[in-house]
Formats: sequence, C-alpha cells, structure tokens
Amino acid sequence: MGAVTQAIRSKGKICGRADMIFVTLGNHFQSFDRLIKKVDEIAFHIPHEILVQRGYSGYRPQHTKHFDFVPINTAMEYIKTSELVISHAGIGTIILCKEYGIPLLIFPRRKKYGEHSNDHQMEIAKAIGERGDDNIQVIYEEGQLEEKMMEILKNKGKYTPQENVGKANLIKTIKAFIEEDER
Amino acid sequence: MKKNKKIGLICSHGGHFTEILQLLEAFEGYPTFLLTYKEKATSDQRNTYFISNIGRGPIALVVGIIKIFSILLKERPDILFSTGSEIAIPSFYFGKFLFRAKLIYLECSAQVYQPSMTGRCIYPITDLFLVQWEPLLKRYGPKAKYVGGLI
Repeated sequence: MGAVTQAIRSKGKICGRADMIFVTLGNHFQSFDRLIKKVDEIAFHIPHEILVQRGYSGYRPQHTKHFDFVPINTAMEYIKTSELVISHAGIGTIILCKEYGIPLLIFPRRKKYGEHSNDHQMEIAKAIGERGDDNIQVIYEEGQLEEKMMEILKNKGKYTPQENVGKANLIKTIKAFIEEDER
Repeated sequence: MKKNKKIGLICSHGGHFTEILQLLEAFEGYPTFLLTYKEKATSDQRNTYFISNIGRGPIALVVGIIKIFSILLKERPDILFSTGSEIAIPSFYFGKFLFRAKLIYLECSAQVYQPSMTGRCIYPITDLFLVQWEPLLKRYGPKAKYVGGLI
C-alpha cells in the first residue's frame, strides 16, 4: 500500500485510500464512455474514493480522479489495494482480481455501441456469470451499476481466494513439455 | 538436470502480458528473454525487448518484423512461448523455420467459443497448442489441448 499511496500522492491526483474503487478499461483502442459516464454520474452517492483508468475513452469524468494508462505493476497495486474493481470484461483484470481476492464487477463492452470490434466480451461475461463465482458479478446495463456496487460493498469479506487450478495445470503442462524437449 | 534451453516469451501488452506473468513459474531456471510492445503498460519492464505495435500500420508492421527477426537472430531461442496476439505470428514463423525452435502457444482466455486470428494462423506449426475454454477445442484440430484456464 505504502508505495502506491505515495506514488498517487506525488502526482497530486488522489490521496490513496484502502477503500478505493478502481474502474479500469484496459488497453483496448476503442472508447467505452458508457461505463465512465455512469460512474461519474453516481460518484456522488458512493461513499468511496473512485479512481478511473480511462484508457482510450474520450470522456473525462468530472467527479472522480482519472488517468489514461500506467505501467502494469502500478495497475496491479491499484487492484490489490482496492475494495472493489469495476471493469470491462478484460481478462487481465479478471485474472488479477481472482489472484488477489478482490471483488470484481464486470460490464462488458458491446460491438453495437462501437466499444469493441466484436462481442467476445459478452461471451466472457456470460461464461463467467454462468460459473457463479462469488467474487465476480456481471451486469449488462449501466442502470444496474449502482445497485450492484452497493450490494457487493455491503457483502464484502465473504470471499476467500481459492487456488487457481487452471493456472497450476497450465504451468504443469508447459513445464512437462519443456522438460521433455530438454531430454 | 541442467536447464540449457533458451526460451523466448512473446506477447503484446494488456491481458496477454498479464497471462505471461501468471505463467513465469513454468520457465524458472531456464535462460529466458521477453519480447513485447512498447506501451505505457509495459514501460516498467526490465531486461525486455520492445517493438512498436505491429497492428498500428504497414510501416510499424515491416519495421516490427525486421526487429523480431534481428532479436531472434541474436537470442537463438530453442523454445518460443506466446499468449498472443499478432506479435506471435511473425515470431513463430521465424522461430520454426529459421531457428527450428519448439513452439508453445496459449490461446488467450478471451477466446471462449471463437478461435483468434492469431491462433488460426499459427495452429499448423505450433508444437503444444493450449486453449483456455473447453468449447474452443472443437473449433481447432486434434492437436489443441485443454487443461484449464487462468480466469
């Protein structure tokens, strides 16, 4: 926490707090103003500091701190020290929230609004939604955002990170292939 | 056992990069090098080769391909591992046909039902081809494997 708090303070942008809500739109080149606008609109009702990573989105929130991009280790620290992460259905954020045990609220980008080149984020969101992870919630309309946020913040602490079996199996499989090749 | 094989880790920035970071344990003890795009998200990485995003346009593509070739020529990898995206295509073709490297590809966990363009391009030459969602198996050939996913 220390390093991050300092880093944020030194830029004079926000005072880092452990109960931050981090909104992150990743590195995709299209904008996703729908999410930022909604976050900006409800920021007043939310008793938490909100930090927005805009990415390539053109809309600048008026009521939250924001930036475009940061190095990946900084983004990891932001996620690690957040009470809730809200994000498009980008897999980097999903992986990190799972690893750190941080509650995640996903709102997928849609092709029809020019937010992505296809609807694969809908597929990810649905596949994860169907799995029923306690830690990951999905919404499909921005109107659901505030209610879902408050619900997650109210229930916080219920989640305990579980061992990532998929990751362990992937490492094992790749390792075995390399060792086989070494012989 | 002495670990002599040199392994090149190749990916674009963003989720692909996060995926590689998750799997570094698989390469522990081996000499490795990392090749990725020069972006703000990757600007804190040390001991890394950077190229401009080859998807940005024809000039970036040509310059990027030349750079990838020269990096591989210098490093002479025995194995290449990639999580995508398109940066894997020239890297894998050079790796396979110029350096006889073994190729390991992990299809991005963003691909649930549809194969990626990168995956389709390099499937024929990849030695270990992993997908992260079971439904995707039937969209690739018998070589594709599913052992689990990161998300």
